[in-house]
Amino acid sequence: MDCCGGTTEHEDDCGEVKVKDSIDAKTVEAAKALESENYSAGFSTTIDTDFAPKGLSEDTIRYISAAKNEPEWLLEWRLKAYERWLTMEEPSWAMVRYPKIDYQAYYYYAAPKAGAKYASIDDVPKEILETYEKLGIPLREAEVLLGVEGAVETAAEGREKPRVAVDAVFDSVSVATTFRKELEKAGVIFMSISEAVHEYPDLVKKYLGTVVPQSDNFFATLNSAVFSDGTFVYIPKGVRCPMELSTYFRMNAENTGQFERTLIIADESAYVSYLEGCTAPMRDENQLHAAVVELVALEDAEIKYSTVQNWWPGDEDGKGGIFNFVTKRGDCRGDRSKISWTQVETGSAVTWKYPSCILRGDDSVGEFYSIAVTNGRQQADTGTKMIHLGKRTKSRIISKGISAGKSDNTYRGLVSVNRKAVNARNFTQCDSLLIGDKCGAHTIPYVENRCASAQLEHEATTTKLSEDQLFYARQRGIAEEDAVALLVNGFVRDVLQHLPMEFAVEAQSLLKVSLEGSVG
Amino acid sequence: MSTALRDFIKNPTAAELELVARYGMQPEDARRERAFLAFAETGLPHRRMEAWKWTDFKAALKVLETPAAVSAKDPLPHDGALVFRFTPKGFEAPAKLPDGIRMVAQPSVQAFPGAEDVPMGALAAALAGSGKRPATLTFEITSGDAPRLHFVFEGAGEASFARIIFLVRSGASLTLTESYLGGSGLTSAVLEFDMEKDAKLNRTIFQRGASDEALAVTAIAHLGAEAEMTQTTLAFGAKVARMETRVVHQASGSKLNLNAAYLSGMGFHADITTNVRHGAPSCVTRQLTKGAVLDGGTGVFQGKFFVPRKTGQHTDADMQHQALLLEDGAQVFAKPELEIYADDVECAHGNTCGALDDAQMFYLRQRGIPETQARAMLTEAFIAEALGMADEAVRDVLLAEAQTWLSS
Amino acid sequence: MRPMLKITDLSATVGEDSEAKTILNGLSLDVPAGEVHAIMGPNGAGKSTLSYVLTGRSGYEVTGGGATLNGEDILGMDPEDRAAKGMFLSFQYPVEIPGVPVMTFVRTAMNAQRKARGEAEISAPDFIKKSREVAGMLNLDAEMLKRPVNVGFSGGEKKRLEIYQMMMLEPKFLILDETDSGLDIDALKTVADGVNAMRDPSRGMLVITHYQRLLDYIKPDKVHVLAKGRIIKTGEADLALRLEKEGYDGVLGEAA
Ligand SMILES: Nc1ncnc2c1ncn2[C@@H]1O[C@H](COP(=O)(O)OP(=O)(O)O)[C@@H](O)[C@H]1O
Ligand SMILES: [Mg+2]
Repeated sequence: MDCCGGTTEHEDDCGEVKVKDSIDAKTVEAAKALESENYSAGFSTTIDTDFAPKGLSEDTIRYISAAKNEPEWLLEWRLKAYERWLTMEEPSWAMVRYPKIDYQAYYYYAAPKAGAKYASIDDVPKEILETYEKLGIPLREAEVLLGVEGAVETAAEGREKPRVAVDAVFDSVSVATTFRKELEKAGVIFMSISEAVHEYPDLVKKYLGTVVPQSDNFFATLNSAVFSDGTFVYIPKGVRCPMELSTYFRMNAENTGQFERTLIIADESAYVSYLEGCTAPMRDENQLHAAVVELVALEDAEIKYSTVQNWWPGDEDGKGGIFNFVTKRGDCRGDRSKISWTQVETGSAVTWKYPSCILRGDDSVGEFYSIAVTNGRQQADTGTKMIHLGKRTKSRIISKGISAGKSDNTYRGLVSVNRKAVNARNFTQCDSLLIGDKCGAHTIPYVENRCASAQLEHEATTTKLSEDQLFYARQRGIAEEDAVALLVNGFVRDVLQHLPMEFAVEAQSLLKVSLEGSVG
Repeated sequence: MSTALRDFIKNPTAAELELVARYGMQPEDARRERAFLAFAETGLPHRRMEAWKWTDFKAALKVLETPAAVSAKDPLPHDGALVFRFTPKGFEAPAKLPDGIRMVAQPSVQAFPGAEDVPMGALAAALAGSGKRPATLTFEITSGDAPRLHFVFEGAGEASFARIIFLVRSGASLTLTESYLGGSGLTSAVLEFDMEKDAKLNRTIFQRGASDEALAVTAIAHLGAEAEMTQTTLAFGAKVARMETRVVHQASGSKLNLNAAYLSGMGFHADITTNVRHGAPSCVTRQLTKGAVLDGGTGVFQGKFFVPRKTGQHTDADMQHQALLLEDGAQVFAKPELEIYADDVECAHGNTCGALDDAQMFYLRQRGIPETQARAMLTEAFIAEALGMADEAVRDVLLAEAQTWLSS
Repeated sequence: MRPMLKITDLSATVGEDSEAKTILNGLSLDVPAGEVHAIMGPNGAGKSTLSYVLTGRSGYEVTGGGATLNGEDILGMDPEDRAAKGMFLSFQYPVEIPGVPVMTFVRTAMNAQRKARGEAEISAPDFIKKSREVAGMLNLDAEMLKRPVNVGFSGGEKKRLEIYQMMMLEPKFLILDETDSGLDIDALKTVADGVNAMRDPSRGMLVITHYQRLLDYIKPDKVHVLAKGRIIKTGEADLALRLEKEGYDGVLGEAA
């Protein structure tokens, strides 16, 4: 395969959007669903791809940096992280078991080669459009992602409010960013992080690694060394972002690790709602995903970050699937700032993820709303950390875990209250639902309170799906699988309410798909 | 020999070296060696071990020293009880025991399965039997109405260890009270309870120590079918003090009440750690732990319910921990944990941590009760909830001790 | 005429294999279309068991006999298929379903049944209109219908909600299991009005009750006494009054 150095970027101004790399026409023949009944995102796309040399070394990092034409400071930054990573050990405390990861067996950089884009929506195979629709990517935006010319305008017109701007990351590089011009008008910067490094180096330098330090943990350090692309968002003072922003990640190339890095900054009194969606095709090898997301909320700013994740979970025997080791952290730096995480986790073979809030500013607020569904042989160890530093800081954690099949689902959370965080408040509710008798549900909350005026409250329950409820619904004529979906939707309602409307609908159908075959 | 012994523990502290030396002075015994090796695996437990992250014996106990103060006075009544004393001089027991209670004091160490999970228990098993104390004390209870057994642990200088085994036979019942009164730089006791079908145990633990002492009390209980165990702990902590209880529901229908209150003041650290395994169907656990902590005090609660696949079906388990931070500078760490693999279960846990309820305070004051008094009333009532199931012979004493502490 | 519901020599057990307990023991009963039959019987007679066996709740095993609805064997069907055929059970103890609003629940049920019967789904406006009418008739607050099914409802509210669902779903065959218990006299009348409104030449009803009180408002065509797992006596509406006066013992003694 071709490992030529140099840039893979192929800048092509397409109306409002920069389509840097579009999908090869071969996609048309090749993109078809593999034998997957349950995983609707499980098609792979055959495209010519540029890879970095396999494995991880200083050379790989230099390759990545060169491929992205990065400034020297960033290369240094990466190399420093790599040096650090070599001294670190993979964490083993989570309740997940997986075969030892051979970090040399992955490609750390894969970029689709430039190719033709579709001339019109009619040229895009129906299956692909349908799949995008299933993935929750608005269809018009899907056209944009697929590089259909003129799609952007149609997309802009065709969508009802609220509209969503999409940044699509295909393997390692950002493929398209929509609605850019309109956002620019509002002063919002929304682009891939590689572009931001060039266009807004000062902002990137100022904030990169300030929430998740390079040395934070094994996977975050790895990401710091090899991160390939991701999204950069800056909302200036006093601006309410006029639309939802969204990144859509897709892993395609074989044996590829994906290491995206997202950095979102809401300046004073700014507001942004951001949605991240993830899918990967089915492949037998376990693909590695070690992302880092950093959020910074300054005074009176608010960031709402929603994730719908349905990475390929592996097959019923536990073969294949994504290893998802993600570090997400928000820093409520300013007084009265607010960061809210909402996640719907239905995918991945192994999930290791704790979106957290550092409540530094006085009166700042952190929220974590989570639905984690595991089925088959999936293992999820997920939760949050709320670090109360400022006065009167508040946090709220609502976690709903659903285990089915032979899966294990663990909530792990920390609420920590500093001595100075007077009158801090936390409320935590963790509910687990077991469907079937071969799965596990675990709740491991850590509470560290060093402040007498703080009030912390935690409640947790574990129950099974009620036979009585199931029968009641079926007596009214609702088929068993639909009844299960209905009950589960009821169970997770408190969390679904916190998702933007259209994604809540998507999440509901995703829950149903994830739980198919879990009863009867 | 002592150079070889040095290698037992990696990078030993002075205190650990002293423990190794004490082990070296014991007669050779394969079981003792196994227990000591289990301890030596980690040495004194420390914060890098998940189960000890908040209670670090290694850091707290650099050297073994005789504490400044002698043992506290025992508040629990001795009247009407058979009293057993571990004193600086040795071990004292009543000359004669009634029918239905048999005591065997062995000079040798009993096998100790599962020692790896309880390093401080393993240490107690390995080093029990020094001086004039028995290495293992075994009690067999066959009577349904035996008098209360009361154990007093008074310090023995630098370190004091004890190992006691209770076999409560089918249908028999045991009322047990224990007073840990300090007076020793390091105290570690391990108690095992083997409860047969329908056996009953009501256990009450009173712990008081000084802020220059370390203490670990490890209890391991196995409950047979329909067996019932009720445990109540009142702990005031020490420099570090851990009251650890591990219970296995071994046959169906057993019932466990696991209650504790900790009161921790300046320089004190009180740790309540429990682990309950629902290894049989249809067993019930009710757990309530309450804590009140003052400036400079630390409270730790770690609770875990483990419900295995299949055998744990129809488990009914509830764990509650509630802590009051009465002053600035108090700290409380909690980890109420559920690990569940069986689906037909009802498991819940709750944890609250903070100051007294404002609404309650206001209600009392509105009725004319002054603030200090209102606070004392509410705090006492709060703590009392966890002491209500103690044996009635000692319940009032526990309440009074808690009250005295809270009002001083 | 062929009866709408025909139960022949029905026997059923409850409980796991080793502890299986026979509750229904050779029960036979016919309910023709257009008729209302009451079943009365002492506590623990097996009345609720009968309603669960007819609607397919798990945990009950049919060990003999059969039951047909309009000539079709129903006992082998899944509960939702029986519902689509028109079987509706008003539960003695309605089940709470957290997080699922009443309207969502009923609409899902209605459309599932329609789909199973090959009918078109009901439109949202039509559904809301119908719901308003029914709720109005039953004095149900519209706010209540937005709350999760039965969660936090009083005993009486739960029963009224059962009737609401019944009137919304318009089933062919109704089983009311102690729908009168827990109702005050006004609520009882409201519920009875609802049930009477459902009376129709094409509908059959089985009204299970403990007391004759309900039968003052819902006039039965026949009264059956269920005891020891079978129908031991059948009579006209006045049998209910006799039961009230003489007690089950009197009537049972006579039957034995
Ligand atoms: N799940 C069950 N397991 C064991 N016995 C049951 C179960 N359900 C019902 N029963 C028993 O079956 C008998 C009939 O109950 P039921 O049909 O509810 O009576 P009724 O509705 O006439 O009062 C009672 O003795 C009851 O205790
Ligand atoms: Mg009944």
